[in-house]
Amino acid sequence: MSSEDSERGSQSDDGERSTADVVSDAVYDNRWRLFGVVATLLGFVFVAALLTDVPLTKLVDIEFWLGLPYGDVFTVGFAERALQAAMPIALAAIGGLYAEKSGVFNIGLEGFMIFGAVNAAAVSWILAGGSASQLDLWIALVATVLLGLIYTAVFAVLTIRYKADQIVAGLAVWFLGLGFGPFTAVVMWGGVSSPPLSSLDTVTVPVLAEIPVLGRLLFDANPLLWVTIAIVLASYVVLYRTRYGYWIQAAGENPEALDTAGVSVRRVRYAAVMFSGAVAALAGGMLSIGIGNGFTGTGTTMVDGRGWIAIVAYLFGNYNPILTALASLLFGAAQMLRIQLGTIGVDLPSSLLEQFPYVTVIVVLTLVGATRVPSAVGESYESEE
Amino acid sequence: MSSTDTTPAASDDASGDGTDAGGDDSLGRRALARLVDASIFERLGIAVASTLLALLIGLVVVAAAGYDPVLFIDNMVYGIFGTYSVADLFGTNNRLAQTLRPTVTFIITGVAVAIAFRAGVFNIGVQGQFVVGGFAAAATIVSIAGSLPGGAAGGAMVIVVATIAAIAAGGLYAMLPGILKAYAGANEIITTIMLNFVASGVVFWLLDAYFRPGGTFFVRTERFPEHVSFPQPIFEGTSFSVVGLAIALLTAGVVFWIMERTRFGYDLVTSGHQADAASYSGVDAKRTIVATMTFSGMVAGLAGAVYVIMVLSYFSDPATLPTFGFDAIAVSLLAANNPLGVIPAGLLFGGLESGGNFVNQSSDVPRQLIDGVVGLVVLFVAAPELFRMAGKRMDVGGDEQ
Repeated sequence: MSSEDSERGSQSDDGERSTADVVSDAVYDNRWRLFGVVATLLGFVFVAALLTDVPLTKLVDIEFWLGLPYGDVFTVGFAERALQAAMPIALAAIGGLYAEKSGVFNIGLEGFMIFGAVNAAAVSWILAGGSASQLDLWIALVATVLLGLIYTAVFAVLTIRYKADQIVAGLAVWFLGLGFGPFTAVVMWGGVSSPPLSSLDTVTVPVLAEIPVLGRLLFDANPLLWVTIAIVLASYVVLYRTRYGYWIQAAGENPEALDTAGVSVRRVRYAAVMFSGAVAALAGGMLSIGIGNGFTGTGTTMVDGRGWIAIVAYLFGNYNPILTALASLLFGAAQMLRIQLGTIGVDLPSSLLEQFPYVTVIVVLTLVGATRVPSAVGESYESEE
Repeated sequence: MSSTDTTPAASDDASGDGTDAGGDDSLGRRALARLVDASIFERLGIAVASTLLALLIGLVVVAAAGYDPVLFIDNMVYGIFGTYSVADLFGTNNRLAQTLRPTVTFIITGVAVAIAFRAGVFNIGVQGQFVVGGFAAAATIVSIAGSLPGGAAGGAMVIVVATIAAIAAGGLYAMLPGILKAYAGANEIITTIMLNFVASGVVFWLLDAYFRPGGTFFVRTERFPEHVSFPQPIFEGTSFSVVGLAIALLTAGVVFWIMERTRFGYDLVTSGHQADAASYSGVDAKRTIVATMTFSGMVAGLAGAVYVIMVLSYFSDPATLPTFGFDAIAVSLLAANNPLGVIPAGLLFGGLESGGNFVNQSSDVPRQLIDGVVGLVVLFVAAPELFRMAGKRMDVGGDEQ
């Protein structure tokens, strides 16, 4: 988009130069970015080491790093937990990338997730109190998605029809979630969190579950894992292999052309934004009654930044649904790493280890740097009619 | 209209050395510029209309959730003023102090947000910088107060040192996302939000590991000595001091002066709204971003210091602190990011806070309602077109430019 890309382009045209030259030029062009990454990493390691009284010499001791029992860190149980942690992030991220591809920056994902979490818990409570059946839970999840569609319809009207500032309106959705989420909980249960609620059971597929490793990961799993995988694959196919997918991309890149072709830019954007709200709501419901046992409304609620992490996931995945899901897996793993570190005896206070995913996000964002955002994002579009 | 839609994207490419100025960056700047485009009366109208509409919806929610809206209004008014008659306002009641106390923090944190937004940088990390600043002040006070003389002079000395520590800590903590944005293109909205979480976790751990007095269950520092506090010529016995209010007003005034009357402020504001013009006139865009973030974080750190010295007199688990840094975004937006406008907006939010607390005590309406109303205010401020269209429909006029 900026001069940086054009510089890169001119380098690749130049066939005469050696690989080493190209690499060193790339390093030179990105020197500040590399500096940022290294400084961030070193800064956090240094501060963490100082704070925890680990001697700094230990950090540069190769023997120490080689000696850690890495085999005990990367276990099937870890992969299972990482997958589960990645599900809500991946779903919200898919929604966010659709909205942004169509030209609307849905920065309110975090807020829509909070509403999803509290609504799912509330609906399952209304249906059956603390002892909801599996059917009740699925009904609650469907209701949550429908409510999510209604909320995002309002958001879409404000951002698309009334040209609301997309960033400020998105922040507002977060604040609304932080306020009305716990408010709903107090009205329903008398406190900002719900009592323990039932959650979806693990489903074991006969035979397939016997496959080593993959069987346990994929076929002895929470059914929402399959829903997530299906949504990821379907959204990839729709975005890159169908006409509607091209319309979505055109709405974000070149709305005039889409308009000229006789397709309503507004309508495509409404659809994409409402889809983003629906999957974000499902991601929230997943946290409260899909995987977890009820809604937690203390502090920044149980969503705890996952909606923001989702935005980084799709930036890191370069707006590709499959790469985005893999990026979500990385963040899911970062969340669960602290359990693993505990098992191999790396003894750091949990209040510090809990910061690992957030620090990972900062490092990833620094690595990714400014991304190629669809050119019409943030601009309202008025057709000529 | 459609032809103008392409120009912002085109101007991105033209913007001189803006190598790291990705699309989202210019998107943010465009969005902020649009908010400032409106005339002063229009902005005031939008602020008032947004607040009224948000409160109205809050009332509807109160009624829908099965509470009595009339009782709610009654409690809000009493909660804010402590009286129903103007004559009693400064009388013996201390309710007004309950309103002015959060107002102080809203004004200072609001100014911190306004600095960044005015310069086109989305510092959503004021909450984290406020936490880090407050912690730095508290840590300084409990560390040095014992070894300095007591009495008013000793107390003042401790307060000055602690405040400087808080300003430095807040500034440094905000400088990091500034550097990451300027030199690595990392979106500051996300990095500052992540750093809010990190601040909360790390400060919690520091309190737990190093500052908890022996044998106590709660994660908090020991109480500050009596002499380390602001004098209270009026509203004695409350945790509000006019000194705090004076610091808040002075901060707003000084920042307004810096932004409007100095070369430094001029560079910040122009690079926020006319990036091209700023870079032609020799302003280093990257250094401006770092300077903006640092300046904003310093003010957020100051807010933390004033809050712990005036209100808390100790420091506890950051997760239990009010989210002033988030509400400050609403305060700043209501004020159209003008440091002086932050004063009335902060007063309004102080009223909402104190009224909300009173409602929570005297009825069973949850105080989280006020947080929701704050969200609604931000939502409506984001959509001025809503009111323009409504205004046109009612033929009020006054919004033609």
